[in-house]
Amino acid sequence: MKARIFEIKRFAVHDGDGIRTTVFFKGCPLNCVWCHNPEGIAFKPQTAYYAHKCIGCGECAGACPTQAYQIADSIHRFDAARCIGCGKCAEVCPNDALIFYGREVTVEELLPLLLEDKDFYANSGGGVTLSGGECLMQADFCAELLKRLKENGIHTAVDTCGFVPQESLDRVMPYTHIFLYDIKAINEAVHLACTGQSNRRILENIRYLNQNDCKIEVRIPYVPGYNDSEMAPAAEFLSGLRNVTKVRILPYHNYARSKYEALHMPDRLPKTLPSDEEIQAAESAVARR
Amino acid sequence: MEYIKNTDYPYIINKYHDTAKPFDSFKRFIRRDEIFSAQTGMAGEDILAGILREDEANRQLPHPVRKAMAFAYVLRNTRISCDSRDRFPAINMIDRPLNATIIAKWKKEVFDEIIPEVEEKRRHLEQAGIVTIWPDYDHSVPVWSRIFDLGFAGLLAESERARSGRTLTADEAAFFEGIRITYEAILDLIGRLAALAAETVGAERMAAALRHIQHDPPATFYEALLVDYLYFILSEHIEGLQVRSLSNFDRLFFSFYQHDLQSGVPEEEIRTDLAYFFLQFTAIGNYWNQPVCLGGCKANGDTEINALSYLFLDVYDRMGIYNPKVQIKLADSTPKEFTMKALDMIRRGNNSIVFVCDSTIRRALVREGATEEEARLCDVKGCYEYNVQGSFGCGMNYLNLLKPLEYALHEGCDGVTGQFAGLKSPVPANYASFADFYAEYKKQLCHIIDETIEIVNGFEDHLAYINPQSMLSATYPSCIEKAKDALSGGAVYNRSSIMIGFLADLADSMAMIKKYVYDRRELTLTELVSILDCNFTGSEQLRRRLLADRDKYGNNKATPDEIAVDIVRFTSGYINGRPNAGTRGGAWACGYHVARMSYTQGGKTAASPNGRLRGEELSKNCSASMGQNREGATAAILSVTKIDATAFTGDACLDLGLLPSAVKGDDGLEAMYGLLVTFARRGGHAMHINVFDAETLRDAQKYPEKYQDLQIRVCGWNVLWNNISRAEQDGFIRQAESLR
Repeated sequence: MKARIFEIKRFAVHDGDGIRTTVFFKGCPLNCVWCHNPEGIAFKPQTAYYAHKCIGCGECAGACPTQAYQIADSIHRFDAARCIGCGKCAEVCPNDALIFYGREVTVEELLPLLLEDKDFYANSGGGVTLSGGECLMQADFCAELLKRLKENGIHTAVDTCGFVPQESLDRVMPYTHIFLYDIKAINEAVHLACTGQSNRRILENIRYLNQNDCKIEVRIPYVPGYNDSEMAPAAEFLSGLRNVTKVRILPYHNYARSKYEALHMPDRLPKTLPSDEEIQAAESAVARR
Repeated sequence: MEYIKNTDYPYIINKYHDTAKPFDSFKRFIRRDEIFSAQTGMAGEDILAGILREDEANRQLPHPVRKAMAFAYVLRNTRISCDSRDRFPAINMIDRPLNATIIAKWKKEVFDEIIPEVEEKRRHLEQAGIVTIWPDYDHSVPVWSRIFDLGFAGLLAESERARSGRTLTADEAAFFEGIRITYEAILDLIGRLAALAAETVGAERMAAALRHIQHDPPATFYEALLVDYLYFILSEHIEGLQVRSLSNFDRLFFSFYQHDLQSGVPEEEIRTDLAYFFLQFTAIGNYWNQPVCLGGCKANGDTEINALSYLFLDVYDRMGIYNPKVQIKLADSTPKEFTMKALDMIRRGNNSIVFVCDSTIRRALVREGATEEEARLCDVKGCYEYNVQGSFGCGMNYLNLLKPLEYALHEGCDGVTGQFAGLKSPVPANYASFADFYAEYKKQLCHIIDETIEIVNGFEDHLAYINPQSMLSATYPSCIEKAKDALSGGAVYNRSSIMIGFLADLADSMAMIKKYVYDRRELTLTELVSILDCNFTGSEQLRRRLLADRDKYGNNKATPDEIAVDIVRFTSGYINGRPNAGTRGGAWACGYHVARMSYTQGGKTAASPNGRLRGEELSKNCSASMGQNREGATAAILSVTKIDATAFTGDACLDLGLLPSAVKGDDGLEAMYGLLVTFARRGGHAMHINVFDAETLRDAQKYPEKYQDLQIRVCGWNVLWNNISRAEQDGFIRQAESLR
C-alpha cells in the first residue's frame, strides 16, 4: 500500500502538542480560497517551478521524458500540457528550483523517518501528525501508519478538514490520540462560498468524534471578509462538544502566494490580513464557548 | 534603564569609553585621563613610561617580582574616582599597561631571541590559514570561593603563612614575593579608594564597604560584588590576565544574599546593586563579553538554582543588556521553570545566554582525570569552555581541518599557495580507493597536529617567564602549596588545547568525494582536483549538484555523520593526553570551537569538494556547513550528538538558528525546551540559540539605524548586528535562509 504525500516536516511546532513530525498527504476535497498549501489540493502529482532559483542549466530538459521543458539562452520554458508529473526533472534540478509534490511512499519507508525524532517527541510531549491536503482521503494508509506509530509508542494526531466519509474516521480512530479538526464556518452558505462545499458532513463528523470520546482540538482560520462573522456561532456550536479540549484561531496569512505562482495555479488569496486586535477578539469569542 | 537612575546611567556608561565617539568593539581598553582628577594620580602616559623606567632599576630581580613591582607602581599611581552616581569605583589605567610594557618586552625577548624558529613556523601557519596560534594564554578563572572566604588580605596572609617556615629555592622565594607585593598593592589601592570615597559626598556606603574589604572578607552582597569587580578589573585590565568567569554566581553569592535579607536589606536594594554591577561590564564593553555562570548541581544531585538565580535573570532581563553574558549549567535537576524563563528571554532577542550541559562536561572532566567532585564544581568560563577549579587551560590554537585535505589532494601542497607543507602525498590518480585517500588525509592531519604541538610546547615552556601570575596563583591552593606559578605547573590541571574547526565542511567534502569519485565514478579524483583548482569555474553545474546533495553532516545522514564521528574519534585520540610543555607538566586536549576562524581561515582555504568556493566562510563550531542544515533543528541535534562530546574537553557547541515563527507562543517555548533537553540527554555539550529570520536580517543590513539593539550570537560571544562585518552579516542571512 502506498500513499501520495507532498512533504514531511520535522520540528513541526504548531501541529499539535510538543515537537512533531508532520506528514502532508496530497489531495483535498475542499477548495478553500485562502488555502496556504495549494500543492495539497490536487491528488495528482505536481511540479512547482521557483523561477528565482533557476540557474538555466537545462538539466530538467535532459531528464524530462515528454519534452515539457525548453531551455534556450538560459531561459527556462515549461509546457504544462506536456507534463505527466513524473518528477524526474525535480530529481535532477541542482538548485531546488523545481520541487516535486506527490511522491509515493510506503509505510515501511515512512516509519523509520518518523521515528528518527522520537527522543524529541518524548522530551516535549510531541509525536507525529498526519495532515495535508486531507490525509483521510487516504484513510487506509493512514490507519496502517498510525497503528504502527502507536505500536512504537508515538503520540499521533490527525489534522483533518472533516469532509470525509464517517468510515474514514472509524478507520483511524483506534490509533489516533487527538484530532486537529478544522472548522471554517457554521453558516452553510458562508462555508460553501469559502470552500466550495457544504459543511453539513463536517459538523456531523465532529459530533461523531465527540460522541466516540475522541480528543479534539478545533482550529478555526480567521480570514477577514470571508469567515470573520463565524467566530461567535462557532463558539456556540462547540460549546456542546465536551471532548473539544482546545480551540485555536489560525490567523490568515498570505505567505503561500509564491507557491501558487510556482504551481501555475490561479491565485485567489484574500488581500486583507487580520489585525492583532481582530485575532484577539476572535480568540476571546471562542474562549467564551 | 530599569534600576539605574537617569542621572547615573550617562556617567557609568561613559566611565570606560567615551560613547560620544564612534564605538569600536575591537578597541578594547581605553583610558580616560581627562575625566579623572589629576590630584588622584599620574597621567596614563607618564605611568607607562614610569613602568619601564622603574623596571630598568629592577633588572636583576626575577620576573614575578619585577612584574609585581610594576603592578604595584600602576596601582600606586593610577588616577581613581569614586562618584555618587555609581556604586563601584573607577580606575583609570585599565588598558593593560603591563601587557603594553614589560610583558611585551619579555614576549619579544622570548620570541625573537630564545625561540625565533618556533615563532617563524607559527607565523607561517597563521598566514597560510592552517593553524592560528595566539600566544595570549589567558582564559583564567580564580578560585572564587577562596577569594570570598578569605578576602584579599586573607589570601595574602595564607601565602605568607605558606612561605614562612620552609626552605625556599630562588624561584619559590620569587613566587611568594610576587604575591606579597601584588596583594599589598591591592590592599593599598583599596585603602586609597576607600579614603577617596569617604571624601566624596554620596559615596559613604562605598567607602564603608571598601574599608571593610580592605581588611576582611566580604560580609554583604554588595561587598562581595565589590570584591568580584575589583578582582576582575585588576587582573584582566591591569595585571594582564583575563578573568573568564565572574563566578558560579548563584552558588557563591547565595549566602551573601541570604545574609542581607536576614539583616533586613530590602530585595530591591540587592537588585539595584546587581544592576549597577552588571552595568560595569556593559560599559567596559569588551567585545568577547564578560561571562558569568548560573546553575549546576549540589553533591546530592539537587539543583543549585535558587531564589538568587531567578532574581539574577529577572534583573538582567529588565535591563535588556547583553554583556555580561550568561552561561547556565543545565542539569537534570534544573527546574523547568528556570530554563523556560531563560529560553523565553532568548526568543525575545536576549540571546546572550548559553546552556552548558552539566552531565556531559562532568563526564568529560572525569575522563580527563578529574574526580567526580572536581567535575561537579568545575568552572564554566569564556564562551562555554570548562575547567576544574584551580586549573589552567590554554587553548587559542585553531586548526583548519580542510588544510590536510588540500595536502592529500595536492601531493602535500597547499591548495591556494601551492607551497609544499612538509609531507608528500601520492598523486590523486594513485589512490586505489576512498579508504586509501581517507587514510592519507589522516596522515596529513597528524602531521599538522604534530607541528602545532611542537610549536606550542616550544613557547608554553616560557609562559611564566613572559607573564607570571601572582594574582591568580594566590587563589589556587595547589600553587601556594607547591610554591609554583599557575602557568608553570602550579595549577592542579594544566591543559593545552587544539581547537579543530570546520568538521562539517570536511565531512561533507569527504562524503562527496566518496560518492561522486569512488562510488558513482562520475569523475576522477584528478578531474575533481583540477575543478577545485579552477574554483569551479566552468563547472558550476557540478558545484550546484554538490551543494544540493543532501548527504551532508547536520541532517542525520549516515555517511557524512559517520565521517564526522570518526574524525573526532581519531583526532581526539591522537591529541588527548599527550604531554604539553615541560614546565607546565600537563596534557593536551582536543576542543571544537572556531571563534571567528570561519572567516579568517576560510578566506585562505581553497575551494572544497562540498561545493564551497575558494575563500568562502567555513562552518561554525558543531553546526552544519553554511546553508546545509536542510532537515531542521532536530536533525542537526541528532547529528551533533552522535559525536562524543566528552572527547572534547573544553568545548563542542552547537549554534542553533530558529525561526521566530517556530518559537512563538506556548507551543514554541515548549518546543525550544524539548530541543534543549533532548540535546542534553543525548550527551550534547553546549547550545546557543539565535532566533531570527532572513527577512529581518536583510532589513537590518539595509537599515542599520532601525536595528540598533539587534543581537547576534557569534561563536560564543554576543555582538550587536551593526558591529559585525558585512561578510559575517551575509553569513547569518544565508544561515537564516536555510532555516525551515
